Amino acid sequence: MVSRVNVPKGGFNFDNYQRNLILQQNGYSMPKATKTGTTITGMKFKNGVILGADTRATGEALVQDKNCPKIHRMAPNIFCCGAGTAADADKVTDMVASQLELHRLATGRESRVTTVLATLSQYLFRYQGHVAAALVLGGVDVDGPQLFSVAPHGSTDKLPYLSQGSGSLSAIAVFEERWRENMERDEAIELVKDSIKAGIFNDMGSGFNIDLVVIEKGRADFYRNIETPCPTIEKIGNYKFQPGTTAVLSESFRNFVTITEGDAMDIS
Amino acid sequence: METELGLKPGEIGLGTTLVAVGFDGGVIIGADSRTSMGGAYVVNRVTDKLTYVSDRIYCCRSGSAADTQAVANLVTYYLQLYAIQHGEEPPVRVAAALFQELCYKNKEMLSAGIICAGWDKYAGGSVYGIPIGGSLHKLPYATAGSGSTYLYGYLDTAFRPNMTKEETIELVKTAIALAIGRDGSSGGCIRLAVITEDGVERHFIPGDQVPVLGI
Amino acid sequence: MSSIGTGYDLSVSTYSPDGRVFQVEYAAKAVDNSGTVIGLRVPEGIVLAVEKLVQSKLLVPKSNRSIQTVDTHIGVATAGLLADGRHIVNRARDEAESYRDIYRVPISGKMIADRVGHYVQIYTLYSSVRPFGASAIIGTFDLDGPQLYMIEPSGVYWGYHGCAIGKGKQVAKTEIEKLNLDKLSIVDAVKQAARIIYAVHDEAKDKEFELELSWVTAQNKRHEFVPADLAAEAERLAKESLNEEMEDD
Repeated sequence: MVSRVNVPKGGFNFDNYQRNLILQQNGYSMPKATKTGTTITGMKFKNGVILGADTRATGEALVQDKNCPKIHRMAPNIFCCGAGTAADADKVTDMVASQLELHRLATGRESRVTTVLATLSQYLFRYQGHVAAALVLGGVDVDGPQLFSVAPHGSTDKLPYLSQGSGSLSAIAVFEERWRENMERDEAIELVKDSIKAGIFNDMGSGFNIDLVVIEKGRADFYRNIETPCPTIEKIGNYKFQPGTTAVLSESFRNFVTITEGDAMDIS
Repeated sequence: METELGLKPGEIGLGTTLVAVGFDGGVIIGADSRTSMGGAYVVNRVTDKLTYVSDRIYCCRSGSAADTQAVANLVTYYLQLYAIQHGEEPPVRVAAALFQELCYKNKEMLSAGIICAGWDKYAGGSVYGIPIGGSLHKLPYATAGSGSTYLYGYLDTAFRPNMTKEETIELVKTAIALAIGRDGSSGGCIRLAVITEDGVERHFIPGDQVPVLGI
Repeated sequence: MSSIGTGYDLSVSTYSPDGRVFQVEYAAKAVDNSGTVIGLRVPEGIVLAVEKLVQSKLLVPKSNRSIQTVDTHIGVATAGLLADGRHIVNRARDEAESYRDIYRVPISGKMIADRVGHYVQIYTLYSSVRPFGASAIIGTFDLDGPQLYMIEPSGVYWGYHGCAIGKGKQVAKTEIEKLNLDKLSIVDAVKQAARIIYAVHDEAKDKEFELELSWVTAQNKRHEFVPADLAAEAERLAKESLNEEMEDD
């Protein structure tokens, strides 16, 4: 039977799209979504892939989150950094991660990076850039270490090192200068950290801490806040006043209740 | 200079130089390697715009990176299906027809300028151009992308029928080097692919070895 | 037939204990009762010939064709129930059109035979439908040259140098086997096809028949009816050879 009740199904709703366009034309501005004005990077090294991210999330000119996790675990062997609209990047990575979990349970096999790449890029292409997520995808699977970037419109690039987000220009400069093939784990970690720092210090949209994940065959080490290059500085002065700072000029007491008969209530 | 039309705001484009030339026994396709955004930032300087669609058919992509990748993936899928159902590799004209169908039917949505080239046992080497709008042109040689404006005259004078493989490689390489020199949206390296009955042979010319022509 | 009364021949969705589907075999019988249809494959093309038995003198000549064009380059001759044959041809036309829509090239002989074969086979699986009481001979010219296929009511199809179905198929096949098909010119193939149809016609049982002749030639790769003058010449020669035979007897 066809229901007369309109049950909302979730997902996207475009009912007000045309109305909003007209409102915008008339000078009303739309509320701005929280963006992860971001630096995210990734590089291949001798034994695998390293991904890095800063932790600042902004909404217009305001910082919304000072320690926002931008590296998402897609599968035990695959991770993904998200930039762009925070909600979109979070949602799309969560959805794909859930699909992958079910796929692994059904097949009993390790997830593959190309599967993630195809799913993400096809989803983003379907929404023609309106799902504004820019991603750096890295992992190690049967085909070895792999690294890709996915742009909001759904195009993909395969590169040995790459960066995304508003700080990507500063970050890529660090790689262009210092990246070499087959780097050791330790120096690779330092390079990724430096690339994120370039974004943190030179890009207004990026800041605070560094998150990092090192993916190698059979293992992945996630380092939350591996470095905090922007510590909260101890204030020299403070606004606490010692008791007694304010002089008492006079005191007065007044009884509001007068007991005329009976015993007083036991309030012990 | 971004001459590619119809890109959406913030979309990654392939301001590009593409060249495909048929020769005795096959085709040679070539492209620069620059992918840029908003005509200001090079997103990828070693892009491979020569994209596999079947064992002896490749396409050269220009326009929106997202659109052309999606179309190429779809055509690859259709051609795999063709190969399984027919028990033989698809002819180039079939691949080109699929590109044309997708580009024409979705012309409002896409900004894609594609060259489809390859070898098959019926027609030998062949080149098809599918410009924005979704028309289909069988050509002896083709060029596309923002850099193509600088090449039509050159190719019209330099192309001769029945060239050897070596002459054709030189022609394609020179053409792309010329366009890289004049078109801001083209640059990086030169990538080539020689497609013949024997298979696909890839060539790579790094940025520092791209010939500098003119003054 | 051993199945009579056993109940195993009532539905295509029931096998007999020895693994046969009798309804499909009965459908083949319907084809065996029809006028003879032959196809010849020679280097220059395909010739299709039909002995169309005329039920009534009141029928308009050349009506109810059993050779039809499916695509510019494909001809199909059917034997058996004419209406079933028409339905198969209709499906073949849809398949040829949809193939053109997708790939923008004419469908090959192998693919059209494969697709129509699949379609016919589906009608051997469900109790709600009856298998086709018709066979189709497909003649076409594709990139690999002339192709000749025959689809049976069971859905199987094979590629042939020459094939025959209908009442006179045994005699026709022996006659075709005598031909040197690899050397025959298309014009000679037409003449031979006409001769064979006349030879297999049983004047005692079936009075009237009309000869249908079509070809797909290497020259223009189109399926069309054989030009009237050549058809008349072939028919004249066929009658002549028939008379000679009778004189020999």
